[in-house]
Amino acid sequence: MSELQRVLYVEDEPDIQTVAKIALEVVGGFTVKICSSGEEALAAAEDFDPDMILLDVMMPGMDGPSTLAALRQRPALAQTPVAFMTAKVQPQEVTQFKSLGALDVIAKPFEPMQLANQVRALWEESSG
Amino acid sequence: MADVPVDLAAALARLGKVYAQRVRGELDELTQVAAGLESEADVRPSLEQLHQHLHRIAGAGGTLGFKTLSQAARALEIEANGWLSQDVVALDVAQRRRFADAVATLVDHLSQCETAPTQAVAQAPSARTTAFGHGGKVAVWLVEDEIPLGEHLVHLLGQFGYEPRLYTRFDAVAAAVRDQCPDCLVMDPHSTAEDLGAVEALMTSPSFQALNCPVIFVSANGDFPSRMRAARLGVDGFMLKPLDIPRLVDRIGRILEERHADPYRVLVVDDDRDLAEHLRLVLSADGMDVDVLSEPEQVIEAVATFHPELVLMDMHMPDYSGPELATVIRHHDDLLGLPIVYLSAEQDRAKQIQALRSGADDFLTKPISDTELVAAVRVRAARFRQLANLMTKDSLTGLLKHARIKESIVRELARAQRTGHPLAVAMLDIDRFKQVNDRYGHAVGDRVIMALAHLLKQRLRKSDGIGRYGGEEFVVILPDCDLQMAQNVLEDIRARFEVLPFLHDGHEFRCTLSAGIASTGEHPEADDGQLLIAADQALYAAKHGGRNQIQVSPVL
Repeated sequence: MSELQRVLYVEDEPDIQTVAKIALEVVGGFTVKICSSGEEALAAAEDFDPDMILLDVMMPGMDGPSTLAALRQRPALAQTPVAFMTAKVQPQEVTQFKSLGALDVIAKPFEPMQLANQVRALWEESSG
Repeated sequence: MADVPVDLAAALARLGKVYAQRVRGELDELTQVAAGLESEADVRPSLEQLHQHLHRIAGAGGTLGFKTLSQAARALEIEANGWLSQDVVALDVAQRRRFADAVATLVDHLSQCETAPTQAVAQAPSARTTAFGHGGKVAVWLVEDEIPLGEHLVHLLGQFGYEPRLYTRFDAVAAAVRDQCPDCLVMDPHSTAEDLGAVEALMTSPSFQALNCPVIFVSANGDFPSRMRAARLGVDGFMLKPLDIPRLVDRIGRILEERHADPYRVLVVDDDRDLAEHLRLVLSADGMDVDVLSEPEQVIEAVATFHPELVLMDMHMPDYSGPELATVIRHHDDLLGLPIVYLSAEQDRAKQIQALRSGADDFLTKPISDTELVAAVRVRAARFRQLANLMTKDSLTGLLKHARIKESIVRELARAQRTGHPLAVAMLDIDRFKQVNDRYGHAVGDRVIMALAHLLKQRLRKSDGIGRYGGEEFVVILPDCDLQMAQNVLEDIRARFEVLPFLHDGHEFRCTLSAGIASTGEHPEADDGQLLIAADQALYAAKHGGRNQIQVSPVL
């Protein structure tokens, strides 16, 4: 089984971007690319070739679910595991997010020390 | 890899500091905007602006370590969102003011991550806020100058669902309680004269006494003079260091239960409306919850819906006598224990005794002073509640007993079938509990059980049923809860329980739990017994799968 290496994180909030980048790079040892919007992610995703994508749900412009739908249109990204990041983790919503093709939902606010492990666990679940 | 998290911690601390400075400015602006709501004809633009900022603060604040700020902002965000989803945003002045006040107090939360709480307090608004309000969490403030120990305590109290705040100095707390009152204050009074003086000055100040805030001392020194000093200061608890956290939590729980006990429920049956109203006023003024029934025909329905802990009735009503009504009540098996007290001008002893034969408990003679009435009712209602608790609740944990939890499942299952909402039932068991008892003794084992009981009470909703099913086995009933939700809740409890340290002879140990869940979603046809069996089988699978885990019962 290959290793989780490249993580694309789509998030509009600069404070969370910074924390997530540090948390994923330092603790997880991943290569991380941050995009500030769904549009930016669509432009950059294929070149970056992520192993896994994390999507904030609530973003101005393209929100998480529509970004996911658009990413799935690209053949190279059709199978890439995706997790949503959101504060709203009502079970019905989790189910709904999963039905869109996401692996799972990571609750916000996330714990910086744990984020990398959560992401890796989800990724391993999906690939093995 | 080993030194990497240290880098992260340092980096996060730096980010947190920068964030706090920036968000302080942002909160100032929001406070202005929120204050303006009161005079605005169309509040939508301001509310939208507030909503957007609150959403960001809720998200980023939590990630950067400002947990309570995040929670408070989240609560306000949800409220604002509710208003914004209406076609026309209709808010009265009181709602606008309350919202603005709540926004203004957000800045208080910044103090939680800062090293000098006094500075933050100095900047806090002068409006008095009760700490209890934030998301309904119980605010416990700690005064502890050993910062690592203090932070450890804060972490553990957080695991129990409390909202802890750490202070390192007594003067900082003294300043903080001018603006906010915790639900419980835990402090080490130390033994230096200076500290003792500060503690005594704080606790004897009229403003602090007016707060009526419970105080627990934790001290390395448990000699008689220290304990006596604490008793004279009116301290509610005294615990020795090294601190046994589950015991502290138990203490806090008991104090708060006493303080926040539900008012006694009294049903007044009297056709004389003026008198009934008078009784209601007198008893309500003493903090009781009073329902007045002027149509005696409705008495059984009233008892069934209001669940009074005492019925106060007139001896003579136009159509029925008190003893006749009492007889009707006593015909219901489940109402045999309910205290019934007559209130009457009847002076004839023989007639009074005759009246008691029909099943009433006591006779109060009119005219009766208000003080006497209150005392007579209170003492009987308290007795009834005690007995009712003894009958229904487990003495160690205060949770429902075996038989009651089974009744509760039957009831909730019927309700779930009626409403079509899912119901989840879970069985929990403390792993290798026998070893705890064998190794550390039963007293320690009991503390482990109590700790889990507290955790369940803190983490579950008021509407959830929690019972002690057997020795170290618990059952929880989660109405309106599907399998996934139940799994999340129990997983959270499992993770919190796993990290709780227990103390025995200075030696620290930890326990874990396993749980099995069954839900009506997967077992739509199951009756109460089958649902429990399914949960039990899932628990067995969890035990078999290596313990310290949650398993769910698969679709049959």
